[in-house]
Amino acid sequence: MTVPQPLQLLAPLSGVLVPLDHVPDPVFANRVIGDGLCIDPTSQTLCAPLAGVVSDLQASGHAITITHEGGAQILLHIGLDTVNLAGKGFTALVEKGQRVQAGQALIEFDADHIAVHARSLMTLMLVVSAEPFSMLTGDSARVVGGQPLLELGHVGLADDAPVNEGEALVSQPISLPNANGLHARPAAVFAQAAKGFKADIRLHRQQDSANGKSLVAIMAMQPALGDVLTISATGEDAAAAIETLAELLADGCGESVAPVAVSAPAIEAAPAAKPSAMSLQGVCASAGSALGQVVQVVERKLEITEAAGDPRAELQVLDRGLAGALAALQTLRDEAGSEAQEEIFKAHQELLEDPSLLEQARLLINQGKSAAFAWNSVTEATAELFKASGNRFLAERALDLADVGQRVLKLMLDVQDSAWELPDQAILVAEQLTPSQTAALDTSKVVGFATVGGGATSHVAILARALGLPAVCGLPAEVLALVDGTRVLLDADKGELHLDPDPVSIEQLQAQREQRALRQQRDLEQASLAATTRDGHRFEVTANIASLAEAEQAIELGGEGVGLLRSEFLYLERSNAPSQDEQAATYSAIARALGPERNLVVRTLDVGGDKPLAYVPMEAEANPFLGMRGIRLCLERPQLLREQLRAILASCALARLHIMLPMVSQLSELRLVRQILEEEAASLGHDTLPKLGIMIEVPCAALMADAFAPEVDFFSIGTNDLTQYTLAMDRDHPRLASQADSFHPAVLRLIATTVKAAHAHGKWVGVCGAMASEPLAVPLLLGLGVDELSASVPLIPAIKAAIRDVQLSDCEAIARQALTLESAGQVREALRSWRPSSLPLSPVLES
Amino acid sequence: MFDKLQSAFWKALTPDLVPDEPKVSAAPETLLPAKVVEALGGEKNLTSQQRVAITRIRVQLRDAERLDEPALQAPGMPAVMVLGNGVVHVLTPMAAPLAETG
Repeated sequence: MTVPQPLQLLAPLSGVLVPLDHVPDPVFANRVIGDGLCIDPTSQTLCAPLAGVVSDLQASGHAITITHEGGAQILLHIGLDTVNLAGKGFTALVEKGQRVQAGQALIEFDADHIAVHARSLMTLMLVVSAEPFSMLTGDSARVVGGQPLLELGHVGLADDAPVNEGEALVSQPISLPNANGLHARPAAVFAQAAKGFKADIRLHRQQDSANGKSLVAIMAMQPALGDVLTISATGEDAAAAIETLAELLADGCGESVAPVAVSAPAIEAAPAAKPSAMSLQGVCASAGSALGQVVQVVERKLEITEAAGDPRAELQVLDRGLAGALAALQTLRDEAGSEAQEEIFKAHQELLEDPSLLEQARLLINQGKSAAFAWNSVTEATAELFKASGNRFLAERALDLADVGQRVLKLMLDVQDSAWELPDQAILVAEQLTPSQTAALDTSKVVGFATVGGGATSHVAILARALGLPAVCGLPAEVLALVDGTRVLLDADKGELHLDPDPVSIEQLQAQREQRALRQQRDLEQASLAATTRDGHRFEVTANIASLAEAEQAIELGGEGVGLLRSEFLYLERSNAPSQDEQAATYSAIARALGPERNLVVRTLDVGGDKPLAYVPMEAEANPFLGMRGIRLCLERPQLLREQLRAILASCALARLHIMLPMVSQLSELRLVRQILEEEAASLGHDTLPKLGIMIEVPCAALMADAFAPEVDFFSIGTNDLTQYTLAMDRDHPRLASQADSFHPAVLRLIATTVKAAHAHGKWVGVCGAMASEPLAVPLLLGLGVDELSASVPLIPAIKAAIRDVQLSDCEAIARQALTLESAGQVREALRSWRPSSLPLSPVLES
Repeated sequence: MFDKLQSAFWKALTPDLVPDEPKVSAAPETLLPAKVVEALGGEKNLTSQQRVAITRIRVQLRDAERLDEPALQAPGMPAVMVLGNGVVHVLTPMAAPLAETG
């Protein structure tokens, strides 16, 4: 046996040395992965610090491991959080398994791209095999690529032989929740935890397996999002190891993982157990309830051959598939039952025309792949990127891409979609429902939706609301094990699916449904009547709209104006910028439809990192709900605001124009916009200004309402955001959504504060959040002194009817009582059982 | 590729009213010490300065020719990275911002 030579490591880059302790990343700073050093680079080619074999090269090209023949393993990691760049800006010059010389170029990177798009360029050189080392540099903080930097001490023997014997214990399968897979950071956390156990630990994915205590081995396996992994352990503490590590893996190994954003695929290996509970809990995506039978929606797996003979023929196959899909989507658009559906298919058509998708598919075909394989790989890979984006909206768009991908694939493979025969009263159960699946539905037979994935912006939710059908998202995966034809009761209001409903509750539900239908009929007939309480107080009921069509529909249904025009939705279908004239034409058309006697409240663009409709991709924010939203973004890009204000001002004479600002939290924001508005109005020669008001959706605005009131013309309360900011609960959070309830007394107190301040200055207060569309809330809001309710269009008749049902004096009493209660549940209960003596039961409810 | 697709999707779904404004419209002129500004060709030669990647100030030069490389490499100057298209990264120490130390 030869005595190991001391091994010198060369600087992989030129740059500035940064002490590892100063690296702003706890995993590196705490040496979780290994000890070493950090260079803030001034060169753009990463070179090998020693001779060896490339034992790992991350697919995204930002990290590489070199293993020396003596066993030393050196990890080079370019930048912090660069895994998020998904390979962009990195060019690998070597391959995994390749032998490299010391000083050989390994990876070229685009320093400017990384500096602008990632957290940092700080590059780490870590001795993951844990030999001790000494620094060879003097005091100088600067290093030049290739200069000797470290000297490794004794190169330890790699000890791969298992020391433990006996039966291996195996964990339950775990679907990997990490958006970017087990990259260096979470892999290090896992390996570190595994090292805490005496047992031998291995991580398995189908046939692959890796030593669970070896960071490099785990990284080499490259477990990706959604991969189904199991952990095995052999040795005395195996059971404890499995328990700890399985939990760690499921929780993201220290990374925050979004449970809603990306639904883990169903685990195929283990057939889901029979649901044990009598009811399953999810999140309400569309209100209502229904009794029906389970219909499981399963997408067939398509057989795809990878290789193909003639690229030219395959390119034709691809073009034919694309043309066919475009035509089919056009038909779907023309026949779409709702505007929401039409919009979705329009977006699908645009996806099919995306140049980068097509370019990539053609590239693969020219490499000898079949059209189907090429198309499928490209769409799947891109969908993964969407999912990994960390943006919930984009993650849900991954479903669109997969859907469009399948559509083209089926056309290329000549797979016919068999006509879908649904039984009556079908409750569709699925992992996720794609737009294509829902478009083909016979809506006369479907009574509800129940899905595992999806949230408030998912297609199921949009479609279900458009169809007026109940839907529950975010159900546990057990729901997929329900047998077709099982009788279930879907109570979307509570977010529950009851598996074995008893006859009494079925009967109650049916009675309720009949009553509701009768009531709807009556409300509709009386929609054009004024909303006047029994004791003669008239309230204005207006509409929340996002298009001209909705404005017209609102008037038909008795809407007395528009209380919220969501201007960010107006140019959904546009792929290029609408000119100011076009914008003005749209606002004017809506104003003209309303006429000079009706209010039109236009909310200025309400976009931001959290909102699906950000018109520009914004920089990722750690907490978009507390970031550049609404008026904050508009004031950062004042040109955009000015242009929109000019366009809105063009409709000034056509309706009673109001301009409303979203997310205002500072008086200075209001004053700044007022000044801009005055300037724009003056430049257009207007001598009268439209009314200017603000949304009350941040607690500080409600608390400061007395300061805002003298400077606004009106307030409109956005109860959705006000609720989530007041209660600090995400309204789409799978476990919190049911508690993020606007009926919470804290929210009611803020509403009361706002109303009091507004009325003291003679200003009116509207409510345009979801609460104003809920008949149960009507007595409460009237009692709190709200002057106007702006509801979603289909609910206008019901809200007007609810106003006609009550006496204002009773409402004031129940509102006073509600303010003293403890919880949203108590407020709802009080309202449900509220039956003022003066109010006879409505005739419909008696029948 | 991802960026392109993402922006394609934003475009498909959203109004693209106005081109994105440059993030640093009115860059504070004090990001860099005077001697660095001088070596970069003077105040007028800098079109933008932007803090990026924790430790860097990204400078866009109007005229890359006016950059004085020997002066930049002189002792006492911060590390710099001269990139294509007149882009220069000036590295700042982790702990303290350059403007205060320089």
